[in-house]
Amino acid sequence: MRRLALGVAILFGCKSGGAAPGTLQLALINDPILNPVLAPDIGSILVNKVIFPGLVRPDEHLRPEPDLAESWTISPDGRTYTFKLRAGVKWHDGQPFRARDVQFTFEQILDANSGSMLWSDFSMIDRVEAADSLTVTFRLKTPSASLLTLLGYNAGIIPEHAFGGKPILDNTAFNRGKPIGTGPFRVVSATPGSSLILEANPDYFGSPPRLRQVVFRLVPDGSAQVAGLRAGELDLVTIEPASLPGVRGAPGIVVRDATVPQHYFVGFNQRLARFKPAAVRRALDLSINRRAIVDGVLKGSADLPVGTIPVALAQWFADSLPRIPYDTAQARQLFASAGWRRGAGGLLRNAAGEPFRFTLLVDKGNPSREQAALAVLQDLKAMGADATLQTLEFSSLVRDYLQPGRFEALLIWWTTPPDPDQFSYYTTGQINNNVAYSNRRADSLLLAGRGETDSLRRRAVYLAFQALEREDPPVLVLFYPRELMAMSARLTGVPRLGIRDALRHLESFGFR
Amino acid sequence: MGYSRFVLRRLLQGLAVLWIVTTATFILLHLAPGGPAILADPKLSPVERQAIEHRLGLDRPLPVQYLAWHRNLLRGDLGKSYLYQTPAGRTVLERVPNTLLLTGLALTLSLLIALPLGSWAGRHPGKPADRLLELASFTALSLPTFWFGIVLIILFAALWHLLPAGGMATPGLESSLADRARHLVLPVLVLALPGTAELLRYVRSSVASASTAPHVTAARARGIGEPAVSRRHILRNALLPVVTVIGLQAPLLVSGAAITETIFSWPGMGRLGVEAALGRDYPVVMTITLAVAAAVILINLLLDLVYPLVDPRIRA
Repeated sequence: MRRLALGVAILFGCKSGGAAPGTLQLALINDPILNPVLAPDIGSILVNKVIFPGLVRPDEHLRPEPDLAESWTISPDGRTYTFKLRAGVKWHDGQPFRARDVQFTFEQILDANSGSMLWSDFSMIDRVEAADSLTVTFRLKTPSASLLTLLGYNAGIIPEHAFGGKPILDNTAFNRGKPIGTGPFRVVSATPGSSLILEANPDYFGSPPRLRQVVFRLVPDGSAQVAGLRAGELDLVTIEPASLPGVRGAPGIVVRDATVPQHYFVGFNQRLARFKPAAVRRALDLSINRRAIVDGVLKGSADLPVGTIPVALAQWFADSLPRIPYDTAQARQLFASAGWRRGAGGLLRNAAGEPFRFTLLVDKGNPSREQAALAVLQDLKAMGADATLQTLEFSSLVRDYLQPGRFEALLIWWTTPPDPDQFSYYTTGQINNNVAYSNRRADSLLLAGRGETDSLRRRAVYLAFQALEREDPPVLVLFYPRELMAMSARLTGVPRLGIRDALRHLESFGFR
Repeated sequence: MGYSRFVLRRLLQGLAVLWIVTTATFILLHLAPGGPAILADPKLSPVERQAIEHRLGLDRPLPVQYLAWHRNLLRGDLGKSYLYQTPAGRTVLERVPNTLLLTGLALTLSLLIALPLGSWAGRHPGKPADRLLELASFTALSLPTFWFGIVLIILFAALWHLLPAGGMATPGLESSLADRARHLVLPVLVLALPGTAELLRYVRSSVASASTAPHVTAARARGIGEPAVSRRHILRNALLPVVTVIGLQAPLLVSGAAITETIFSWPGMGRLGVEAALGRDYPVVMTITLAVAAAVILINLLLDLVYPLVDPRIRA
């Protein structure tokens, strides 16, 4: 009996929770792939932001600031970027960082067969050349105003010497165990399915890291993440609005939100005649009570939309335009002008007597999205649409419906780099224009915007685009979500950015 | 002589079952809507999609993929995980000890509680303590694992700071028995609870019906003492169906417990299996199917070998 008591004492005796001082504990939902060129998922992307700096990184206003590159010049035609690299930077294995590494990284990125997940971000690049050991030149096929932003987004630089000329996909030791980057923290150990331990890099080129250690723990379940935070086993987690009550007011925990470059929308397939007229899409746009969705479903942690450019991109967001109103009277007029009138049973019908019928698709499992879809459905039914809701797995939604263009309406979202370039989403015939939106003025504005390197002129272009979207909406934008972060009140130095961009500044994180 | 032929025949049957199971899994996996998570990125361009499909061999006709999987299997190559970029065989194997530790302890705990309590209750039906046990096992069976696990974490980890909220060990800490044990308490408890309740009810009813069997009454009539009656005439007979139930629970040992492993961030097979199925990580799903099916077949074979020891009649 005494032995048992002793055992229990050992079991409960040592204080649980908190790690060694100076250790930051973060959560991941899955095992990461420690290579920014190959990273397919959010978990990998987060970790790689810490291990692999890029040429530039976003500052607190999401503008590019120097990182591995010290300075850069842009040729007058906007097609040649020359970067001067920081001298004396070392890889985590002690080897010197050179321009060759940048060239190598982009050779891999631009080769779709390398396993690159960044190919489409950089398809405007013709070639990248190391002019000398500290100068690298990017030559573009077409002028690009977003290149700098994209370089600071997911394009971490990887070391040429670590791959020895072999395919980067095959280097499992690097990609899953011992990656080599130039960031403020380097990987000490990786335990599959459990954790990833990083320690401060004494050779880091920027300001010295304040933390001694960073531990990424694999905690796949959202409620378990919140519980882990309260138990002191995690110091910062991103949460869903539904988890807010579990952390608000909890001792030692603060909740913050940040606007992020995302827009959630309902896309109507404009391959179908009934969604083609701009008047119909404007009518649909005015039929939605977005305030109710933001307050009811998202507990206020979202902003009301103007167009497809989210408020997080403050430099480009059209704050002079009013938010999209909820105006059912005008919506009814617009439906009528497009030939849709309410007939027997309150259903919208056209001259041929056909009902305004469609199925709205949404991925299952995320309560916020499912409830938002339900709210949209009810608002549109109230207008007389004969609408039904169908939930299905996200991968099926994308592969079987979105990409082949076989849908009527679906609720989805875009997470974009912190740049207003939406050419590939809303230009006629472009790869991500799944709703088949086509407006010639939008085409020319989006083309102009992506090449315009003068920021004042570029802003004018995107203001015009956002105004145009009100007359001919490409999609029914629902809201811009805010990312909710719950963190230890002792944590300091966290920039006011979404988690993705904040982790680019991990050396400034510390504890009070 | 007949015995080894029996074992050989069962092994061959096992191989056939294995083939049927993997083939059915292969077909179902590919028929299911959606596809590999790596292809579910809405931003992918056609160029990237084709490159990925080609790399993973998904651009080949289904029968060709099916044959290729078998050819590689015979060479001991189970393919590379789509999600983790690691060899599927190694990825699954890494998780096996973690799962065996968790589920093995949970099953042991279940047996330690359910066998004595269940057989006591079976011999004393209707007593207040028996009623209490019945109520307790009903409650245990109806607690949702997910909810119960989170409640325990909130109480023991978040509020009282007595036990860790999840994981197998404190990352970065020198591995110690005490630390490992502390991480095991809550998940083992949550995992053992429903199994214990189920087993207890089974043992109880099995013992209760054996207690009233005519040969038991006859044994008592012959004046045999109650302890001997219990041991030789009741428990022995009651044990046989219980072995079957344990056998039915045993596949869980290998396949793991997806929900418990997810809530407690336990790096086991159950969680791996769910992640692989959701992400349509074909090589990992196939490897897990193969491993679990093989284990179930082996366990059943072992049970068939154990029955004759428990019941001499089967030896005939």
